[in-house]
Amino acid sequence: MARIYGGHLVAKYLKEVERVEMAFGLSGGHIEQILDGFTEYGIRAIDVRHEQAAAMMAHAWSIYTGNPGVCLVTAGPGFTNALTGIVNAHLDNAPLLVLCGRSPIRDDLRGALQEMNQMDMVKPVVKWAATCHDPARIPEYLATAFRHAMQGRPGPVFLELPPDILNAKVPGEIAPGLAGGTRKFTCHPGDRALKRAAELINGAKKPIFLGGSGVGFSRSDQDLRAFVEKAGIPFLLLNNGRGVLPDSHPLCVIDTGFAGMTLGLSRADVIIAAGIRFNWTLQFGGIFPEAKVVRIDVDPHEIDRNRSADVGLPGDVASVLEHMLPHVEQRDHTGWITDLRNASRAFMDSELRQRESPSEPIHPIRLVAQVQEAAGEEALYVVDGGDTTYFGLVGLRSRERAGVLTPTGNLFGCLGTGIPYAIAAKLARPDKQVVVLNGDGSFGFNAMEFDTAVRHNIPFVCVINNDCAWGMIKHGQELTLGKERLQCSELGRRHYEKMVEGLGGYGEFVTRDEQIVPALKRAMAANKPSCINVLTDPTVTSPATIMFEQALKVE
Amino acid sequence: MRFSILLLVLYRKLKKASEKNLRFKKYIATMRARILIKTTDGRRGRLFLFDRGRISSRGGGDHAGFDVALVWSDAGTAFRVMSAASDEASFLAAAGGKLKVEGMAYFAQWFTDGVKLIL
Repeated sequence: MARIYGGHLVAKYLKEVERVEMAFGLSGGHIEQILDGFTEYGIRAIDVRHEQAAAMMAHAWSIYTGNPGVCLVTAGPGFTNALTGIVNAHLDNAPLLVLCGRSPIRDDLRGALQEMNQMDMVKPVVKWAATCHDPARIPEYLATAFRHAMQGRPGPVFLELPPDILNAKVPGEIAPGLAGGTRKFTCHPGDRALKRAAELINGAKKPIFLGGSGVGFSRSDQDLRAFVEKAGIPFLLLNNGRGVLPDSHPLCVIDTGFAGMTLGLSRADVIIAAGIRFNWTLQFGGIFPEAKVVRIDVDPHEIDRNRSADVGLPGDVASVLEHMLPHVEQRDHTGWITDLRNASRAFMDSELRQRESPSEPIHPIRLVAQVQEAAGEEALYVVDGGDTTYFGLVGLRSRERAGVLTPTGNLFGCLGTGIPYAIAAKLARPDKQVVVLNGDGSFGFNAMEFDTAVRHNIPFVCVINNDCAWGMIKHGQELTLGKERLQCSELGRRHYEKMVEGLGGYGEFVTRDEQIVPALKRAMAANKPSCINVLTDPTVTSPATIMFEQALKVE
Repeated sequence: MRFSILLLVLYRKLKKASEKNLRFKKYIATMRARILIKTTDGRRGRLFLFDRGRISSRGGGDHAGFDVALVWSDAGTAFRVMSAASDEASFLAAAGGKLKVEGMAYFAQWFTDGVKLIL
């Protein structure tokens, strides 16, 4: 057997065992042999302009494909730059594999280039982290990394690969027993718990199914459809679970918006919460104080977190629903669904009218409605920002899995994810139109990734909801500090579209309602990375701003 | 008439709570909000003004500047549902077209939660 570099063995394992076709990263001297391995074994490398974007792209890749996303970064600053993206994946439970360079072990404690303790920094924000010290064990370490990323609750893993092993030559065969790649196991609770849950569900008058990212990662499309349709239960799919069943499904009540979610959850008598955490966005479970809760989660520690479950069903969502289905009786909750829709519409009246009416300056929710009109329900949407995320989340509809993707289910609140996620979306689903709705503030974090998109010929459309401010912060300051005391929350009127043009993309600047749809259509037809920079009403505050301010009210 | 009196009583309770009720004082301490409760025809109603711990109010239903308005189809329904102080009754009123919310619904929820603290 020929001897190959450790760096090549990394690529060989990724390609031949885990069938990795694409990796996201930024070059560096410490990882040169891995990059050369990508060439040798035909792995497409998407090289970015900042490592956090590579981590975010790999993260989003995992959401769109269901397979771990691979991110390759160099030692020291490459590592620290990637950290934000790693934490983002950690809080999103995304199976991200980070391969990271390291200063040579040979030179430890001697002041080597980019020598730093990466492991102690990364351990709190990954599921598993290790340094490989033996080139012959590279396949074993990679296999372990993949298993940890995918099994149980998914999450990011970190493998540090020093040049001492990447530049050493080893036999090229893959270790026996690893040839099949990572397997995915499913699990579900016993019949007793399933029957108890089914009894609650069968007796419910006003049930709601609330699904989160766990619904998405368990690939539960068929089981979820069978369950909700048999039980007649209205459902809300949030975070990375959005789009597992289309937003247009008759039992989907996502169209009731933020008001509908609040009303529905507070009025429901039984809530089936699947693969979703009761964090601040659900008021730590306090939003439904009186409902009985059936909780499904792949992590048993999550079952009673913040809010005791009446029935806990540890297991992956698809498997639990499949095994609960025989115990669930056919039901029709049309009356409850109609009441919920009607009540929600009463609460959303103003917003619905704003969506339908042209306005000057353009209202952000009107912009969203026009984006939807231009791109339709077949597109993949990504939203990124503060207020912008709210408007995108409630205003956009998709028939696609992860069709409306938000940053980390609003948990990490990580701005700048939009453009990296959109690039990953287009790479994962090249047949789809990809539209990112960006705030002007959040646009700035990874705007240089337009260069990445141009170099790699990845077309997508970025629509900037440009209110010339860090809108959520500005409006929050107005509420709590007063308009006269704004600090660090205003931005200028900037021609971001010209920056994109300068990088080789397509750009247009929009100030009037009737310009929005034609500009978007031209951008889609251009088949280039595109930016439609839309000036919107800077006075509009979203409900998310108020919620955000209230959540931080600590004395 | 009963609806207008109910709103006035509610204002007085809120005002008193803003001075005496510690939990309520904390609840309203940082919020600035203008909550209008009125009938569709605008003949009856009251505007509640919250300004970082201070509460004031103006009678009548014809006020343009508000963050949210709870608009009732008629005064009788408004009195019946509001005096019941029941989330379910409000939900059904909204579902039945008797209550509509204009402006930002979040403020309506915030106001309702605040009222619960003093009842």
